[in-house]
Amino acid sequence: MKNPFVRYLFQKLLWYILAFFIAVSLNFFLPRLIPGNPVAVIVNQMATGGTPSEALEKLYATYMREFGLDKPLYVQYFNYLRNILRWDLGTSFMLYPGKVNGLIGRALPWTIALQIPAILSGWIIGNLLGAYSAYKGGRFDSVAFTLSLVFSNIPYYCLAIVFLYLLAVKFAIFPVGGGYSFGTVPTLSWRFIVDAIHHYILPYCSMVLVAIGGQAIGMREMSIYELTSDYVNYARNLGIRDEKIIRYVFRNAMLPQITGLAISFGTMMGGALVTESVFSYPGVGSLLFTAIRQTDYPLIQGCTLIITIAVLVANFLVEIAYGFIDPRIRAVQLGEK
Amino acid sequence: MGNLLTATGLKSYYRTVQGEEIKAVDDVSLEVREGEVLGIAGESGCGKSTLASVLSFTVLPPLYILGGEVRADGNNILVMDRETLRREIKGKYISIVPQGAMNSLNPTMRIKNFVIDVLEEHFSEISKEEALQRARERFEALSLPSRVLDAYPHQLSGGMKQRTVTVISTLLNPNVLIADEPTSALDVSSQKIVIKLLVELLRRKIIKSVVFITHELPLLRHFADRIAIMYAGKIVEIGPMEDIIFNPFHPYSRLLTSSVLVPEPGMKQKKIEAIPGVPPNLKNPPSGCRFHPRCPSYMEGLCNIEIPPLIEVKEDHRVSCFLYGGKNG
Amino acid sequence: MKDIFILLFRSKRFIVGFVLFLAVLSFAIIGPMLNPKNPFQMVGGLFTPPSDKFILGTDNLGRDVFTQLMYGTRTSLLIGCTAGVIATSIGVTIGSIAGYKGGIVEEILMGITNVFITIPSIVVLILLSIAIKTRSAAVMGLVIGVTSWPWTARAVRAQTASLKTREHIDIARITGFSSIEMIVLEILPYMFSYIFMAFILQFSGGILNEATLSMLGLGPYQTVSLGVMLHWSLLWEAVRTGAWWAFIPPVICLSMTTFSLMSMNSSMDEVFNPRLRRS
Repeated sequence: MKNPFVRYLFQKLLWYILAFFIAVSLNFFLPRLIPGNPVAVIVNQMATGGTPSEALEKLYATYMREFGLDKPLYVQYFNYLRNILRWDLGTSFMLYPGKVNGLIGRALPWTIALQIPAILSGWIIGNLLGAYSAYKGGRFDSVAFTLSLVFSNIPYYCLAIVFLYLLAVKFAIFPVGGGYSFGTVPTLSWRFIVDAIHHYILPYCSMVLVAIGGQAIGMREMSIYELTSDYVNYARNLGIRDEKIIRYVFRNAMLPQITGLAISFGTMMGGALVTESVFSYPGVGSLLFTAIRQTDYPLIQGCTLIITIAVLVANFLVEIAYGFIDPRIRAVQLGEK
Repeated sequence: MGNLLTATGLKSYYRTVQGEEIKAVDDVSLEVREGEVLGIAGESGCGKSTLASVLSFTVLPPLYILGGEVRADGNNILVMDRETLRREIKGKYISIVPQGAMNSLNPTMRIKNFVIDVLEEHFSEISKEEALQRARERFEALSLPSRVLDAYPHQLSGGMKQRTVTVISTLLNPNVLIADEPTSALDVSSQKIVIKLLVELLRRKIIKSVVFITHELPLLRHFADRIAIMYAGKIVEIGPMEDIIFNPFHPYSRLLTSSVLVPEPGMKQKKIEAIPGVPPNLKNPPSGCRFHPRCPSYMEGLCNIEIPPLIEVKEDHRVSCFLYGGKNG
Repeated sequence: MKDIFILLFRSKRFIVGFVLFLAVLSFAIIGPMLNPKNPFQMVGGLFTPPSDKFILGTDNLGRDVFTQLMYGTRTSLLIGCTAGVIATSIGVTIGSIAGYKGGIVEEILMGITNVFITIPSIVVLILLSIAIKTRSAAVMGLVIGVTSWPWTARAVRAQTASLKTREHIDIARITGFSSIEMIVLEILPYMFSYIFMAFILQFSGGILNEATLSMLGLGPYQTVSLGVMLHWSLLWEAVRTGAWWAFIPPVICLSMTTFSLMSMNSSMDEVFNPRLRRS
């Protein structure tokens, strides 16, 4: 491993694999803290729901086999790890015999299509706003800052509820939920795309506004720090015009914000999941909401697993990108002289 | 030879959040002559760096200018509009080697890109290659390795960074170079190299004058032509270097020169004295002569009441002290 | 200390935050005292709009929304505060020990911290919550607290490491204080404002986490909180039936609480970090 960048990459990768391993272990052990035989509990719940006893027995057998509850805990654990590596997340309780990976596979594209554009555009607009507000100062700054403070502190789902009520229920400008109109079939036709965008706008806006606020506050703070730094004064002393100086400041204040982007993936997750369920958007959030209501453990675990993977992958990519962009970081990490 | 810069009655105060004023520069007048090195010396907190900020227009809140003027080429630069100042004066007529030269370079930018920005800003016609070529020639002429241009600031040593900043500051051949404690963070050998560089810049007529601000008076011995001594926001004495270092008039200058070790013949017998008392609080400076509470020659009823004017006591040598006249009439 | 208060109360943003927070707090504490009703009692028809009898109408089961709001705000503040105290205590303990001790201790503690920063806390929260069947408000505060300390730990470590190089620390070390004494007597007092700000952040984060969990259906049992109210609204389609009185009040309460806490936090930040101040 002579190439320092490869070494850096390798170290980061190892670190993320460790984090993933710990997360998977929590995913396995925490639900097992539930007292009693979970399969019996679940099957009993279904029994009260009026499922015929024959089917119940079949269910019981399936889950006992799948969980391997008759085997010692460590065997169960290794089975679990092996199944994850094979991308087998088990069978859903509520949609028996539907497989968890199938359900998640159908929901995931919706979540990705909603979250990634919302986070990225919120991040970009927020940073531009924050930097401009720091540079401009005065009235613009105080108005923009106060608005950002207000928006960034409204939880996503609160804004989502207000939007849904005002813009879809009270004034029927937008549909009241879902990813597309009831009765249409997802196809690559214009009609479907327009319909999907129509359903997309409200959930997107309710997330993006909050994200803009949060990023703008962070960026404003960073930019104020940078604007009072020695190198800015020096560049001014040499007659460099403001437009160029803003570019320096923006770039430098932006670098820590890239870490902020990684954090957003993790911290936005909870709120974003709930936002989906507010709009009954057909993504992982709505799936999780239903799974929790139905105490569908395999599905809940599947959802938490996919969320963890998504956040870890996003963080990893951002961290690698950061090493590329900032020469100071690169110098430290690569031992460059 | 004419004056390149003339400051008259400069007043510049800091305003704290609590609403107090710190009178860092209070009624200061001086001129910078063509071809000279003017040293400005004083204890830390005497306002010399604030003076540098005012002369180089780095006046940012909470620092404010309350009065006076600074003339360059006949124009009062304190009232010039921002754009003219930027285009005509900054870097071109007056340039600065800042106090925090260590952090004066953008950490995420290669030196050459900054240099290109500086040159492009003042020569609209210049291409990137030409700008880089010009910078490379200048670096080499002043015996700095031109590979510095390809580096990021963090890859340079402290001394090299200071020299790089000095060369960048003088790229546009400014008439006045204000060097604010450029050597205080460096080791002795790097200090020497930086001072040599300044002398070399003057010799080659790249710059026409240097204002060298320092708290180390002896440093000025080697290359200053004139020295101004500052105390508590005011200039108390200004005159030729030899006079100030060997025959100062003002009681403060005397204590200052004797409190530092100047390795010169005849100095051996002199006792080294510390200046009694503490520097005054500039929020609420002493009345009359600001040095009177610490002064060994304090005259009750005069020094604590009236402000002594800066009067000429010898050719080109002015002192602000009642021991040498200046009383009414 | 007095100066700091004068500066704080000169900041408009701090005053706004402070007054809003006091308003929410007194509503949550005094409200239930003056009006000791059972928020679960069915008192009227389904989704009755606000009237003289029910200031904020009734919910899907005919329960009084105003009563729910008072008790719900109280529960949310309680959970947020519990979570804040626990998260701040754990974070400060781990961060200050890591920062003061350095070396292998720091490596290990910060390694653990970074793992839990990387793993999204909502995942751990969901997994813990489904494992604990009887979640009281206190248990929820505890669960949220033990999952949200890592950021505080990281920040406190950095502060401690920089404080450690100060002169008074060296002097105290010569006098033979133990590590614990050093941290408690010589380091933490200098970070008081910092720790207090971290607590405010955790407090507001705790309230938000409670709401998120409750809305997903993992809220406290047999208790009403702001998140639980919103969960009911979602579950029983209050939004789509246009029963605004069932969800707008908890939305406002929730947003006002977090906004007031964050305003105080950001204005304190400006007072304690003069570089952010603009004149």
